[in-house]
Amino acid sequence: MEKVLLKNIDNPNSADINEYKRVGGYRSLPKAFEDKPQEITEMVKKSGLRGRGGAGFPVAMKWLFACADTKFPKYLLCNADEGEPGTFKDRPILEKNPHLLIEGMVISGYAIGAQYGYIYLRGEYPGAYHILNRAIAQAYENNLLGDNILGKGIKFHLVVHRGAGAYICGEETALIESLEGNKGQPRMRPPFPVNVGVFAKPTVVNNVETLSNIPLIIEIGGEEYSKIGSPDCPGLKLYCVSGYVEKPGVYELPMGTILRDIIYKHCGGIKDGKNLKAVIPGGITTPVLPPDKIDCPMDFVNMPKHGSMLGSGAVIVMDETVCLVRVCHRTLKFLEHESCGKCTPCREGTGWLRSILERIENGAGVEGDIELLLSVSGNMLGKTFCPLGDGAASVVQNYIKHFRNEFEEHIKNGECKYE
Amino acid sequence: MITITINNKEIKLEKPVTVLEAARSAGIKIPTLCWHEQLEKYGGCRLCLVEIAKVPRLQTACTLMAADGMVVRTETEQIANVRRGILEFLLINHPLDCPYCDKAGECELQDLVEKYGPAKGRYKEKKRKVPESLEDPVIVRNMGRCIMCTRCVRMCRGLQGAAAIDVISRGGHSHIEPFSGGKYDCEYCGNCISVCPVGATMSRLHRHGYRPWQMVNETETICPYCGVGCTLIVQVRDDMIKRVVPRIGSVVNNGLLCTRGRFGYEFVGSKERLTKPLIRIAPKLSADSYQLTANLFREATWEEAISLVAKKLSEIKEKYGNSAIAGIASPRCTNEDNYIFQKFMRVALGTNNIDSAARTGFAGAQNFIENIFGQGATANIIPGLSNSDLVFVAGGDPTTVNPILGLQIRACSRNGGNILTIGNFKGIEYCSPQKLAPVLYTEDVLLEGIVTALKNKKGLSGANPKLEAKIKDISTSIEDVKNICKIKEKDFNEFLNILSESTNPSIVIGKETTQSNGASYHLLLLSAINYLINGRIYLLSDRANEQGLLDMGCAPDILPGYRPVSYMEFRRRYESIWKSEIPEKQGLTIFEMIDTARNGSLKAMYVMGENPAYNLPDSKSAESVLKNIEFLVVQDIFLTETGRLADVVLPALSWAEKDGTFTNMERRIQRVRKAVNREGMEDWRIISEIAKNMGEKFNYSNVEDIFNEICKASPLHKNLTYEDIEKGEGIYPYKGEPLRDVMEEIRFQFPGSRSQGSDGKLYLRVERPLFHSGTLSRKSSALMKIYPHAVARINDKTANMLALQNGEMVRVSSKKGSMELPVIIDDMVDSSYVMLTNNFEGKGAFSLLAYQIDPVTKAPIIADMEVSIIKGRLKK
Amino acid sequence: MLSEAAIKELNEIRQKYPDASAALLPALYIAQREFGYLGADAYEAVSNALGVPKAIARGVGTFYAMYKHKPMGRHVVQLCTNVSCMILGAEKLSDFLKNKYGLEPGGTTPDKRFSLVIMECIGACGTAPAMLLNDDFYENLTEKYIEEILEKYK
Repeated sequence: MEKVLLKNIDNPNSADINEYKRVGGYRSLPKAFEDKPQEITEMVKKSGLRGRGGAGFPVAMKWLFACADTKFPKYLLCNADEGEPGTFKDRPILEKNPHLLIEGMVISGYAIGAQYGYIYLRGEYPGAYHILNRAIAQAYENNLLGDNILGKGIKFHLVVHRGAGAYICGEETALIESLEGNKGQPRMRPPFPVNVGVFAKPTVVNNVETLSNIPLIIEIGGEEYSKIGSPDCPGLKLYCVSGYVEKPGVYELPMGTILRDIIYKHCGGIKDGKNLKAVIPGGITTPVLPPDKIDCPMDFVNMPKHGSMLGSGAVIVMDETVCLVRVCHRTLKFLEHESCGKCTPCREGTGWLRSILERIENGAGVEGDIELLLSVSGNMLGKTFCPLGDGAASVVQNYIKHFRNEFEEHIKNGECKYE
Repeated sequence: MITITINNKEIKLEKPVTVLEAARSAGIKIPTLCWHEQLEKYGGCRLCLVEIAKVPRLQTACTLMAADGMVVRTETEQIANVRRGILEFLLINHPLDCPYCDKAGECELQDLVEKYGPAKGRYKEKKRKVPESLEDPVIVRNMGRCIMCTRCVRMCRGLQGAAAIDVISRGGHSHIEPFSGGKYDCEYCGNCISVCPVGATMSRLHRHGYRPWQMVNETETICPYCGVGCTLIVQVRDDMIKRVVPRIGSVVNNGLLCTRGRFGYEFVGSKERLTKPLIRIAPKLSADSYQLTANLFREATWEEAISLVAKKLSEIKEKYGNSAIAGIASPRCTNEDNYIFQKFMRVALGTNNIDSAARTGFAGAQNFIENIFGQGATANIIPGLSNSDLVFVAGGDPTTVNPILGLQIRACSRNGGNILTIGNFKGIEYCSPQKLAPVLYTEDVLLEGIVTALKNKKGLSGANPKLEAKIKDISTSIEDVKNICKIKEKDFNEFLNILSESTNPSIVIGKETTQSNGASYHLLLLSAINYLINGRIYLLSDRANEQGLLDMGCAPDILPGYRPVSYMEFRRRYESIWKSEIPEKQGLTIFEMIDTARNGSLKAMYVMGENPAYNLPDSKSAESVLKNIEFLVVQDIFLTETGRLADVVLPALSWAEKDGTFTNMERRIQRVRKAVNREGMEDWRIISEIAKNMGEKFNYSNVEDIFNEICKASPLHKNLTYEDIEKGEGIYPYKGEPLRDVMEEIRFQFPGSRSQGSDGKLYLRVERPLFHSGTLSRKSSALMKIYPHAVARINDKTANMLALQNGEMVRVSSKKGSMELPVIIDDMVDSSYVMLTNNFEGKGAFSLLAYQIDPVTKAPIIADMEVSIIKGRLKK
Repeated sequence: MLSEAAIKELNEIRQKYPDASAALLPALYIAQREFGYLGADAYEAVSNALGVPKAIARGVGTFYAMYKHKPMGRHVVQLCTNVSCMILGAEKLSDFLKNKYGLEPGGTTPDKRFSLVIMECIGACGTAPAMLLNDDFYENLTEKYIEEILEKYK
């Protein structure tokens, strides 16, 4: 299949506007302007496109809510705060194919009636910051951004806003808070961002990958797009695979590609012929899967049926040499570090879980610690303000669910047998 | 109508509320910690999670709006587990130092754990430890106890509008601290203390001083400090005030207090309080040398002192006539005290020579404004400011003079209203006000410019022909404003657009205006602006009962009910009730008293709760006059500068030790209640005793008797009772008749000739600090710890010019005198000013001031005092 | 005090947002560049420039991991140790930096040449272990490769 999202990225000049145009870029934009905004939304609705940030919310539905709100101006925010560990799928778009994103944003802005867009870029991508700014400047020079785009009287301005190292800002309301110059702490809902978003105005927040799919939908039409990948959850998907595989990297594949195929067919199998021990399918807060549970279609609809989630499509593959207590501990250490501190169970619970895991990993675990982990995580699950705390609790529960013996061994032996 | 079901109980709701509020309205208690009725919703503690039918996830009752048909369960097994789990999380890092913690007994966390568990902890790791902080004079922090509910942060940034503290860092490292990380740099309102559910932030004043359950006596009363009239709850043990807290729902301050109200109570229990009457035995010395001469007085019995005062006053009256005696009433005393005082002066001594420190600004300004707009023109509801779409501030920082009123201005800004100021006021900088700051002594030109522009924009409606006649010819062009005031045209136009487009504006006027050169003209211009934008005026008042004392007739020209003494009709009314003749002639103002005493025709003065030897401009001159007067009676709670000059000193009971009423700047009458027992007499009782000794019938058994007489006599207070006041009906115009048709010609005086701009000279300005109030705050050790001594504030430019460092000793001199004090460099001070306070012993700004009297307002003009600063101390 | 150039830059950035406070994060980056780290002076400068209360500015600044609150070395090694990097040996690299260069997590070498910051995921998982050195990505790290890289930063 010909690559769309990652088209031409092996070309060293792929981020340049002329190079992007040479391979067919900025052709969807004028095409889109021929349609009414509602028609574009309708097309996106037909495409069945779901948000690629992790939650898989139908894109057109978000757009329609924002369109229905009568407040102006409206804002389009691109969530480029790719922070879920294991995820590096947006980075190639941002660094190598920024004009695809810009084109997607101008079209989307037109569709929802937004005249201002911000790309909230994670602080850890300094390279992308410069590349995006250069690309935006080129787009302005080429009249693809501004007050009168392509002379059609359409206005869209775009600004890159750098985050500063906070995982929680990937959550859309925290992102909005952060963009407004506040701490990145999630907001109460309702009101929803589509009604009261950034600067208290209707706001659509879409992920980089989501917005980058828009030009293709315009090009081939919603119906045609919906035929790609899983029927319930169609389209292209970037899977990013890391860990113990022969060929880690970002793979552009139809949505719903089987996890086992991603690992064995596309990534060349487990590194050095070792045995597979566990796979995290969608970033470290999605439930870990044991080797016998990886025959699942990687999409938003099917993964929950197989005991996990698609998340960001960040596949982390672990072989038999990896200590899962250690991975679980590292995950909790991360979530403790990233907990915003607003709600009690997450602020206090992530640290507590981490410290119990720490003593187990260090060989100082005691009998009852597994039950304590389950109880403490149970006291968090479903009680936190946002999904971060829930994620922390479910991570612990899932590792214990699938790999309880490994925890028990640590406690029984008073040591970690892995190097 | 919304119907929801909570725990099988059907609840009907008139308006949309949260599930929590709905539950409370039906008496169902849902535990909370981060939620606080005064604060913005937060949803952080998660203690109020409840089950909602058909919603899989638990929801926080404090944030979820009740929807029709919603079915809620709050007392299930699951919810009990949630509460236990959340409390366990809060406890893992909370020190279990309850036996030592002052909050124990009123700690919300303690109460909740007692009710919901857990019974024991499962946390094996070390707790986060934070040492106790005693860096602040009035606040003690034990942040290890903090549960991160952020109520204090939301209070500080939201209602207080100070944003002095915030959550630092994140997650488990989150902690709350001021910018410095150590000591607060804040207004010390202590409103954070009110909302802290645990023992993290507490008042230092009662640290380890009592247990909440030992508080035997709690009294609701009114703050003794400024004219806002905040409700206070005074908590007492062993007849000592242990703590002052606000009450949520009280009309004026609704759960908020300022630093003076919350921490300024210690004067009541001060060891320096006067206890016995004193009679002079040694010749008078100057006020500041009293320490050298401890044996100026001897203690006397009440009988002796009272009969001595009665005898001397009778003799002087006999010998020199009624007008040889004058009395100064007190804006710190109750209406009842002041009513009795003026009645005593008028009936027993037969004189209208009654005045007060209200003459230094408030009285004349109010009179001036009422003469234009009618009586009651300044009686506007303080919380109404927050609903204005514009607040225009001139002549003083409301956040220091009347702090709780200042908060309403900040609230107006938060609600999207515009704040306009003439000049710089530090306390409303948070509101990003639109400012016009004219160069020195050109304010009248600016105000004329505004009036001219507003007239051009809006035209004159004809509604107030008397005022229009005075302003119709005012014509000051934008060019003049630009050239003379040095204001940019763009700024002026922006300011004017906002001003003219306002639909619900308020104007706040402070003392700088009423004490300025051309005060009456400035007031005319501000009144004209008010008229043209159809606003309402708030007149700042720095004393608790300044309005009340005027309404009680403690002025040379007015009788109780604010009735002119010059009208026979009103004199007759009081003469028939008091059964005594009232002199027709207007009495002396406080400044005329000083002048008359100086020329020898005033022989005796009775000063109640006032300190003219310190609190009047040119105080040294007032002091020497008072020193030389034939007979001086001072009735006060401390031996003030004036008291030291007295022939007889009468110790009075303080505000906390008596009943009565105060009338605040809204003209709301509120009950002052006795909170502490102390031997002695109230001001009204002392005066009544003297009157009786002089053969007058002053037979009152309690304050209510007096109040009933007031309400019988005063047409304004007609038929008002304490019962009405308790019900909140003490709001102007009560049930009475404001005086509307007795208006006089509008007179005013233009500013005298003077330079425009400072020409590099320095002028004295009086700083009115948040942490002090007159000389009362000197005796409150908490306020003294916050602001311990007098300083001279200057701008950094001035400091550079004079090569002065922060904290360096300087000598500030005027033609009236000089004083040594440290200098503080403060950006908010105008470069042509030296700011001095008039609060500290021996360092009163007023001692360096000369004054003239505005012929219309009769208030002193003190704005033009040139001063010099030199480095270092004077060699002795 | 911010330099004139920084104030100019900040004013330009300010124009990109409808509210001044929205420019806080970019302003803190500028202040960090100007002052080296965010101390009281830096926060006061930003507070004055944007009209955001200084306690609030500090609250916001300390929330984000990429603002530095103490002086840093000339070059900042930002080593990722999150799961993908960890399972491929990032923690050993951290030990290596400590043993070879005396560079402890959160620490700075005595010659002020390097500071080490342990990062959460930097989005280079497919080429783990990885680090950012100042603004540059280095991937597929080994001890030897780190030695070579650090050699380039004096």
